[in-house]
Amino acid sequence: MSMILPVITLLPLLGVLLCLVVPREEAALHRGIGIGVTLTAFLVSLLVLSGFDPATMNHVVKWAWAPSLGIHFHLGIDGISLWLVLLTTFLMPVVLLSTVNAITEKVREFIIAVLVLETGMLGAFLALDLFVFYVFWEVMLIPMYFIIGIWGGERRLYAAIKFVLYTMVGSLLMLIALLYMYIKAHQATGQWSFAYDTMRNLILTPQEQLLCFVAFALAFCIKVPLFPLHTWLPDAHVEAPTAGSVILASVLLKFGSYGLLRYAIPFFPSAVAECAPYMQWLAVIGVVYGSLVAFAQPDIKKLIAYSSVAHMGFVVLGLFMLNPRSVNGAMYQMLAHGISTGGLFLSVGVIYERRHTRRLDEFGGLWQRMPYFAATLLIFTMASVGLPGLSGFVGEFLVILGTFSATRDAIGIPAVVEHAKLLGAICALGVVLGAVYMLWLFQRAMLGPLTNPLNKKLPDLTLREGLVMLPMLLMAFWLGIYPSTFLSDIDPAVVKTLAAFKEKNAAGPATDAPRMLGSTDAKPAADGKPALPAGHPAPTAK
Amino acid sequence: MTFDVADLQNSAPLLLLTVAGLVLMLLDAFSRSKLVGAPYQKKMPAETSEAYPLPVAGSRGYLMPVTVLLLLGILAVVAWLPGQIHGDHGVFMYRDMLVLDRFGLLVSGICIVGAILGVMTAPAFLRAHGLEMGEYYALVMFSLAGMVILVMAADLVTVFLGVEIMSLGVYVLAGMWRKSQRSAEAAMKYFLVGAFVSGLLLYGIALVYGSVGTTLLSEIRSRAPVFASRPLFYIGWMLIFVSFLFKVAAVPFHMWAPDTYDGAPTPVSGFMMTGVKAAAFAGLYRLFAVTLGDSQNALQAYTGWVHAAYGIAILTMTLGNLAALHQESIKRMLAYSSIAHAGYLLIGLIAMAVVGDSARGPLLFYLAAYTVTVVGAMGVVGWLSRDLRGGERLTLDDWAGMGQRHPAGALAMTIFLLSLGGFPPTAGFFGKFYLFRVALEKPSLLPLVLIGIANSLISVYYYLRVITAMYFRAPAPSSEPASEPLSSTALSVGVLIAALLVLGLGLMPEWLANLCAAAN
Repeated sequence: MSMILPVITLLPLLGVLLCLVVPREEAALHRGIGIGVTLTAFLVSLLVLSGFDPATMNHVVKWAWAPSLGIHFHLGIDGISLWLVLLTTFLMPVVLLSTVNAITEKVREFIIAVLVLETGMLGAFLALDLFVFYVFWEVMLIPMYFIIGIWGGERRLYAAIKFVLYTMVGSLLMLIALLYMYIKAHQATGQWSFAYDTMRNLILTPQEQLLCFVAFALAFCIKVPLFPLHTWLPDAHVEAPTAGSVILASVLLKFGSYGLLRYAIPFFPSAVAECAPYMQWLAVIGVVYGSLVAFAQPDIKKLIAYSSVAHMGFVVLGLFMLNPRSVNGAMYQMLAHGISTGGLFLSVGVIYERRHTRRLDEFGGLWQRMPYFAATLLIFTMASVGLPGLSGFVGEFLVILGTFSATRDAIGIPAVVEHAKLLGAICALGVVLGAVYMLWLFQRAMLGPLTNPLNKKLPDLTLREGLVMLPMLLMAFWLGIYPSTFLSDIDPAVVKTLAAFKEKNAAGPATDAPRMLGSTDAKPAADGKPALPAGHPAPTAK
Repeated sequence: MTFDVADLQNSAPLLLLTVAGLVLMLLDAFSRSKLVGAPYQKKMPAETSEAYPLPVAGSRGYLMPVTVLLLLGILAVVAWLPGQIHGDHGVFMYRDMLVLDRFGLLVSGICIVGAILGVMTAPAFLRAHGLEMGEYYALVMFSLAGMVILVMAADLVTVFLGVEIMSLGVYVLAGMWRKSQRSAEAAMKYFLVGAFVSGLLLYGIALVYGSVGTTLLSEIRSRAPVFASRPLFYIGWMLIFVSFLFKVAAVPFHMWAPDTYDGAPTPVSGFMMTGVKAAAFAGLYRLFAVTLGDSQNALQAYTGWVHAAYGIAILTMTLGNLAALHQESIKRMLAYSSIAHAGYLLIGLIAMAVVGDSARGPLLFYLAAYTVTVVGAMGVVGWLSRDLRGGERLTLDDWAGMGQRHPAGALAMTIFLLSLGGFPPTAGFFGKFYLFRVALEKPSLLPLVLIGIANSLISVYYYLRVITAMYFRAPAPSSEPASEPLSSTALSVGVLIAALLVLGLGLMPEWLANLCAAAN
């Protein structure tokens, strides 16, 4: 049994213990521990790649946790989670390195919060047991709350509480839906289980599916964030310290889209068939709305936050077009957004550390003083805009292509492709809008005459900042130039997920009692009563 | 009339608690008091005007370790006794007045663990506030004995005895802070309400006896179907029900609770919020979930207590939480949150009646999780809020910046608050999860669960407010001296154990969950 997954998940907690042992005053040592541990986790996580089979779960571990309740510490990794996990482990040392000057107070606490957060994120990406997923999902919440609340800006209290409450609304509803499915799965199989496979094979009635889907989708769409549930995001981003913004944008938001693809879509096909058009439209509205609002922001961080709303709109649209191309694009866009927006927030952090303001009109002409920085920001800007050859292009292109080329029989749900052309067209317009506000941002901050006297002595990137930016830049190019590194792992997993979705959808919803996919005969439940009524139509599974 | 010697063994926890209480009283009487100056001054300084005398290590310092050792011994007996139960139905004692079963032993164990942690956190607080009196330990023991009677009761008379013995000790404890007017108010309110409740309880018992002709719970259960439609029977049970709702502080019978929990000395408040509540819930369980019928028995339909409990659970959760939202005092917030938690526990009781025996495990687990969490939280409140000028500094403003001034205490408080709010991986999360899971098995309880979930969302806000104050806000700039945390090894160890239990039960819930599920 391969131990890689539990090791990378729990390694950060080892770092937490180390931090607790080291005296509080040793700030440098704490940073060293933090960077060392996260770097080790990254290197260990690379081992996952050897002999990786994207279409199945790799390196699976399954340990009993509370077996009498059907809870197992069950981790695994496939093509959908692979690059998100690597993105997480890759970003954490970079983020910690970026905070050397920004976080000078309560360093130990900061490192501990980031390490706990890493455990939560990795655990949630890797979980194959929904109870474990929920626990890690909630574990992420508290460190982020502290990161915003302790090291954040002026309105940090408001932003931190808003962040927690918004997330909690969704996750508590998800918990109810989860428990409901757990009970229904028990009725259908006679066994208590939170296992992912059990839940995915569980078929509920259309009404149950709809309610459970709404609960799951609400939790995930708040996290994405999908318009109109996005209002916590600008507050959280603006008030969070740079490191918090980077983690939030690059990884935490991905849990929304990851959750949709991993859980909400495969679990409830009939509800997805019903809701997909609404989700598509909300996603597209998010693209346009986010872009327009971003255009009007005087605060650089807020601008990037709204650009996240737009970019994540692409992701949700791609997911709910439900064809391999668009879903691949959505997955790719998740990675690309992680790199480009992470890079943008890191860049904002660089100038914020120098000037302690994020107001766009305070800057202008910085190129003259900070050429290396300007070049870096230009690359991230272009990556965000979707310039071919940089990370953003592939994902957006695939999503739009997948949207335009969606055909009726691809997934077997006519409603999904009803407005495909129109949606694709609006989305393409969103790309243009994105280019407008991002280029406008770059122009106002970097180009033109250097008028503000405060900016006249700004130093360029230091060596450390260069070391922070370099891996991000490399990844931005890599994602843009050679996408098959990533798509070769993503595509088989996406194809498999969609095939499973199609199969489950074809099997039709349950009529009154829950049943399992592939089972036609009534299985006795624990109490000896048949789970299926006689004469139940047999599912038409392939 | 026969007397079975085995009864002595089977009621050992009860007897040992009583003896231990007597021993502690004797020890106290024969230890010389060096503290005459502090607690027994003739003229008490007003609460905030004059400084307290500096705390002196009293000659009664050994009482706390002795009490803890005695309680650990009794806990060991409680842990050993389940081996003496053969069969499913428990062992009846004293002519069927008491019953020894795993349920009663588990709740006794929960009360005793809560009391041990409470006793460990108490002496530093008592000493700092000039309250170090040996009676505290003896009264805790006697009160615990009352709880044990209540949780083992198999007869309405022993139920009444248990409630009275438990409450008498607590009346005195609530008022032991003699310098504090609020403590006197707490004791007075609790006593008056308690006396009223005893009347209701006794009246209810009389009516039930009058209608059925017995006070034995098992007899009532078997005869009830014949008598259940009589108004006397119905009114009697409703009176008993209401009197227990008073004891667990369920809305609308909660009015005494905020003032009492808030005014009583902090360790005593912790004891009241946990031990008394746990024992009273065990009483509710025995009287209603068991005697008045499980889901197979149509008896509950006659009395309609489930419907009443349904509404009261909703009211209790909602009003408790809404009131807690506005509290500026942390202790008072915890008092209201304790009311809200009674509402969640009522869900467990209702599930016991509607879903069946599988709800017992969640109910007990929740009680255990709630007990360790609240005892720990109240321990920290007593620990961090001591004001050098007397009294306590309990407002959120006073606690601002506590994360920096007292990192260990603030961290422990954070763990307890997260547990109360139901965040994983804490005992509180697992308790809620387990409770909601079983309640969801019956669609009729879905609204209750949804309201419970909505309420835990509300509660997250006010628990996080405390964490926010402790970590995100700087201490209020003022010339006043800040609160001076107590310094006591026993206190820190007690809080540490509670915190470890909260995390341990959250990370490894299986053993306790199994224990609770098997506690028939």
